[in-house]
Amino acid sequence: MAVEKNYYTIDPQGKLSCLKCGVPLVKGKAKFMYLDNGFPVELPVCPVCGFVYVPEELALGKVASVERALEDK
Amino acid sequence: MAQIRERGSTHVYKVNKISREEIEGMVSLCVYEQPPFCNAACPLKLDTRAFLEAAAAGNFKKALQLYEKIAPFPLVLARGCEAPCEGKCRLGEVGDAVAIRAVEEAVARYGEASRGGSIFRTKKKKTVAVLGSDLFCLFLAGELEKKAYPVTVFCPEPDAESFLRSMAGFLDDGAFRLELRRLKSKDIQFEYNSPVTRESYERIRGGFDVVCASEPVAKSLFPAADCLPELMYWEAENLVMGRGEGVMDAAFGAKKAALTVDRLAQGLDPRNTRGQEGPVETRLYTDLSAAVRLQREPVPPEGYTKEQAVGEAGRCLRCRCEECLKSCAYLRHYKKHPGLLAREIYNNTQIIMGDHQLNKPMNSCSLCGQCTVVCPNGFDMARVCHLARQNMVSTDKMPLAPHEFALMDMLFSNGDAFLCRPQPGFETCRYVFFPGCQASAIAPETVKAAYLDLCRRLEGGVGLMLGCCGAICDWAGRTELEEQTREFLDRELSRLGNPIVIAGCPTCKKELSRHEGLRTVGIWELLLQLGLPEGGRGLDRPAALHDSCGARGDPETQKAIRTLAARLGCELVETPDSGDRSPCCGYGGLAAYANPEVAGEMTASCLERSDAPYISYCMACRDRFARQGHESRHILELVYGTDAGAPPDISEKRRNRLNLKNELLWELWQEETAEMKLEFELKYTEEARQMMDERMILTDDVIAVLEDFRRTGEAILDGEDGLLVARCRVGNATFWVKFTRDGEDAYTVHRAYSHRMQVVKREG
Repeated sequence: MAVEKNYYTIDPQGKLSCLKCGVPLVKGKAKFMYLDNGFPVELPVCPVCGFVYVPEELALGKVASVERALEDK
Repeated sequence: MAQIRERGSTHVYKVNKISREEIEGMVSLCVYEQPPFCNAACPLKLDTRAFLEAAAAGNFKKALQLYEKIAPFPLVLARGCEAPCEGKCRLGEVGDAVAIRAVEEAVARYGEASRGGSIFRTKKKKTVAVLGSDLFCLFLAGELEKKAYPVTVFCPEPDAESFLRSMAGFLDDGAFRLELRRLKSKDIQFEYNSPVTRESYERIRGGFDVVCASEPVAKSLFPAADCLPELMYWEAENLVMGRGEGVMDAAFGAKKAALTVDRLAQGLDPRNTRGQEGPVETRLYTDLSAAVRLQREPVPPEGYTKEQAVGEAGRCLRCRCEECLKSCAYLRHYKKHPGLLAREIYNNTQIIMGDHQLNKPMNSCSLCGQCTVVCPNGFDMARVCHLARQNMVSTDKMPLAPHEFALMDMLFSNGDAFLCRPQPGFETCRYVFFPGCQASAIAPETVKAAYLDLCRRLEGGVGLMLGCCGAICDWAGRTELEEQTREFLDRELSRLGNPIVIAGCPTCKKELSRHEGLRTVGIWELLLQLGLPEGGRGLDRPAALHDSCGARGDPETQKAIRTLAARLGCELVETPDSGDRSPCCGYGGLAAYANPEVAGEMTASCLERSDAPYISYCMACRDRFARQGHESRHILELVYGTDAGAPPDISEKRRNRLNLKNELLWELWQEETAEMKLEFELKYTEEARQMMDERMILTDDVIAVLEDFRRTGEAILDGEDGLLVARCRVGNATFWVKFTRDGEDAYTVHRAYSHRMQVVKREG
């Protein structure tokens, strides 16, 4: 099992909220999966419905670079 | 719409072998690593190119270091060398060969001699004796000292000066003094006043590990002495020997003898592991058109001054074959000659576990074939990259990401946007017009005008086929999909009665010509036969014609386009690298999808040939040039007096294809298509539009996200900027859209992004 890593600092002020449930997102456990590989991560998650938010800077930064690394495996 | 399967896993441990012979055969065509002619001719293998480069830069210290690698006594060699290098200098074919020997002499005279560095060098344990006093003995002692052997010279002369004088009397005073100083500075032991007799020989033989002798000494001891010239070795007496008559002969003999000593000292057979010795043949190519200074600087009797030597060394062409690098932006980007890059790309396909670091270079080649035309030996980088892509696909190691958008675009062209109909009033047709997927996407009005014109002026019926020829999957190395596409198109063509295909694009023409029994003709050829339609007009100022890479090796097409342009009244300006040598615009080989940076460099390389407006006959070229802000027109726009205007973005390209299909279906075949109407209003900020084009996000992807949001109500509200963020998985990617609600059924998109990884909530 890969070591759990934080690639994203979750906004502490609770600026993000779930529109459907009306509650602030919290730091929650999530998992990225790609090409038969899985990575446990912590991301902003809705505590009620479980919506996992992938912020733009994370998607275009770390996620994109890990994707590229895996694609060339 | 159909999807293309992503690789199942990174854990695939198999490779398909491309035959090593095949790849080596391809790689051997590249002569970049072949030695220059002067270097190949030199028995001592002086790196003449680097030597002359250093000398031309006035760096005599570096030049001398290079020269000392082959000559322990540079002035002796430079003065007496017969200079076989000059006989092979390519400048000699168009003017005077570079006076290499005279430059060597000047370097040896004026260069700062190396300090030897022997003080801290660990000496080898095995000892060597050198018997005699001739050039062979001098050079051999020098070579062995360089190899760190404790070496002792036994000579009849009383001191170093008379020793050197006995063999190098041809040196002038200044040179003699320099070489004497050099001899004394070397870590060589001398036993002066020691003529070798049978008795002293036996004593020496007992005291040294290896014994070497000049031929006269050896013969005086053993009249039957006879050495193998390639080893400088008389095996019967275990004696290393050689002659010292000519300077070059002695120097080359000493070099071979030193290697023999090295092998004997290690207890190894002197015949083995010797590498390549002496002059070699070379296949290097030199572009002699670069030669400008053809006259040699006359060599005065006392030799060149430093300045004269710098000037003469500067005439060297530095023979190096870079024909492909001069033309190809892709090879220039990776700063590698194709022989090396091809080998690395081949090795990349053979990796069972680990990173395929050459995937990107493999996918960045435009497969345009320009290198094969400009290379004097016809090196085919496109074939290497294409084979490698096919190989990676067949072993399930090819990532889908670099090519997915293009492949999906192809499926769209041959799916939702596909159209195949006979001309109204005909069941089967003599012809079918195949404009190509890019033409329908970029210039739909031109396609329509061309089709209507062909219907009007050709007899026997002209069908219409809007779709992709299959070049996309061919470029992506997806042979299975290519086969399916071919079968699909053949089936559709047979419904039209197997007509002659009128291609609107040279790449489609090439691709479709591979179909068995299919006849193809370029629309440009027919237009020449039929004459120009009314309304066609050339540009009102001189224009540059860009030849499509799809028409490489197709002189008829290249000629037909020029004739067509002339009939339209176009004045064409000459550009470098036209016709078969034309570079790719960056669209070919899907380079623009796999590596936008390299593709951008390819486009820039095309455009820097002329400031004039460009006329092309491939819609992708037209599009890429226009996207750079350069005035760019397709020849069919001029023929039909249409103007496709500003280049469309990726979503508009799809919409153009679909609209063209629906419009023609209605106008010509009276078939109504159900119009897909959005249930909500969608606007985009300018920033969002640009972002989506750069990030390859279609409006369809954004619509899918918003439809999903309207169905589920799932979104994040960002309290900082007040934007809503929703997401939806479409195919192999998750799309995220940041938007505002303008009303119940109206939205404005502010940002969009995507990732391929799937994300799920994790329990525990």
